[in-house]
Amino acid sequence: MNQETPQKKRPLSQNGRIFYLVPLAAALIPFFANDYLQFIVNMIMVYVLVTVGFNLVIGNLGQLAFANTAFFGIGAYMTAILMTYAGFTYELALVGAAISGGLAGLLASVTALRGIRLYYLAIITLAFGELMRWVYIHAEPVTMGTDGLPLPDVTVFGMSMHSETAKFYVFLLITVLVVKGTSNLLKSRVGRAILAIRDNELTTASLGISTANYIILTFVWSGSVVGIAGAMFAASTERVFPESFGLTEVIVHFAMVMVGGAGSLIGSVIGGVVLTALPEYFRQFPGMEELFFGAIIIAVLLFLPKGLVSLLAKVSPLFRERYFRE
Amino acid sequence: MSGLLNLSGVSVHFSGLKALTDVSFSANAGEVTALIGPNGAGKTTLFNVVSGYVQPTAGEIHFKGEAIQGLTPHEVSEKGVRRTFQNGGLFGDMTVLENILTGLHVQINSNFWGLLFGTRKADEAERAAAARARRLLALMDMDGFADQQVKSLSGGQQRMVEIVRTIATEPPLLLLDEPAVGLSPPMRARMMEVIKRLAGEEGISILLIEHAIDLVMAGSDRIIVLNSGQKIAEGKPAEIRENREVLEAYLGYA
Repeated sequence: MNQETPQKKRPLSQNGRIFYLVPLAAALIPFFANDYLQFIVNMIMVYVLVTVGFNLVIGNLGQLAFANTAFFGIGAYMTAILMTYAGFTYELALVGAAISGGLAGLLASVTALRGIRLYYLAIITLAFGELMRWVYIHAEPVTMGTDGLPLPDVTVFGMSMHSETAKFYVFLLITVLVVKGTSNLLKSRVGRAILAIRDNELTTASLGISTANYIILTFVWSGSVVGIAGAMFAASTERVFPESFGLTEVIVHFAMVMVGGAGSLIGSVIGGVVLTALPEYFRQFPGMEELFFGAIIIAVLLFLPKGLVSLLAKVSPLFRERYFRE
Repeated sequence: MSGLLNLSGVSVHFSGLKALTDVSFSANAGEVTALIGPNGAGKTTLFNVVSGYVQPTAGEIHFKGEAIQGLTPHEVSEKGVRRTFQNGGLFGDMTVLENILTGLHVQINSNFWGLLFGTRKADEAERAAAARARRLLALMDMDGFADQQVKSLSGGQQRMVEIVRTIATEPPLLLLDEPAVGLSPPMRARMMEVIKRLAGEEGISILLIEHAIDLVMAGSDRIIVLNSGQKIAEGKPAEIRENREVLEAYLGYA
């Protein structure tokens, strides 16, 4: 009865640790990238976190809540406001952005908890995003309206973060930590509870799991991750504008989740990378950029409804989502 | 009022239809109590009323001496009365192992920050749970299916997984609604064996609805016979086999 399976060492090709090679290889990028390319790579990391956070609510929890641009904008504006008016350092403002993003997530979860679901949840959360944009425009004394709010000089632990390379290493560290933390959560009882709620809320409750707590937790964690992405976005652009957080931005976020793979953390990373990099590449064909962008989304969703990650899952089981540890 | 679960004078009337009338019986701790009766006898209604899905029109239900009639299904489940459903409630996007692990959820001792940072303690709690889930599956000879998606299993295998998942929550009282229906003969025998062992070794008390009379006779400690919403007999399998009224009503002999 009591035969414990001994821990077998798996070869690297079947071991999840192989994914650590991705940030290690990425760390070499500054050695051959010019400033423009480096800026794009930095933006890619911003959007990887945007997608990771959004996917938790859309893919893992299965709730049609589109408050993501609100979390993103709140994170970005909070960073600029805390640094400008409260004299926060960037590190502290980043924590502030994560907390305010989490609080916005808590607010968004209230709608889902009160039984507002599906299309109703979708429209209410979209309205929340638009309402926040209205606030950024009209709270002029604080946000400087459509002129945008500039960030003071960004330093991290006393070092200037003005160069793209400096930003890159700080962003890489944040991205790795947030993705790893999210992965830890998903591979535990937390990840399973969230997935179980998506499948069947009543059965989940019958197993003694407090579904309300996990719905709140998902929204708060999602809001914090996207709030952090907002802080990175602010540092990257060095000036925060209301237009960055409009309805088109919602579509971009949603496309990243769907193209990467709803409910897959690896899919989120892929979606964020691909849909940030490709539009930049298509800039060399002026007038055709949106066409290419739209065509890619349609093609992927037609032929790979579970996203690009499903293609990789066929090649190696490493790309299949696992919700446990052994 | 000596049993783990006591029903006294329970009636359920649905707008004139008398689904259950004045039913009283007890299910004892550590025993398998079987409910039998022809279709429409009120067995499933009785399950629904015990698990809180249907409210009784009259009567009282006590679990561990505490009145549980009028509670919601979730509250009844919290008290320790857990049930399986006729047409499963497995999580279709998970593997068999992940389903069992979800049943073990409340027993995994870890907090949010430990899980987030992947501390050794949180990791070990997860690994121990996975090992326990595999052992529970082995109880039912289902360990070979652990890493399969539940969608790829047959209906009978899915029911096995659902029972293992419910057992994983360590319920004091487990309500099983026709656990053997649709299973192959060897699996049915295996199922009954497991049910007996659960009651004997794991100390889980079981209330069971089952149509297969041979399984009920072999596997249960006590049998309650329902017909047209009323209890017509109660006793050990040997006594039920001899009961003339039961033979007429249920087995169709005259």
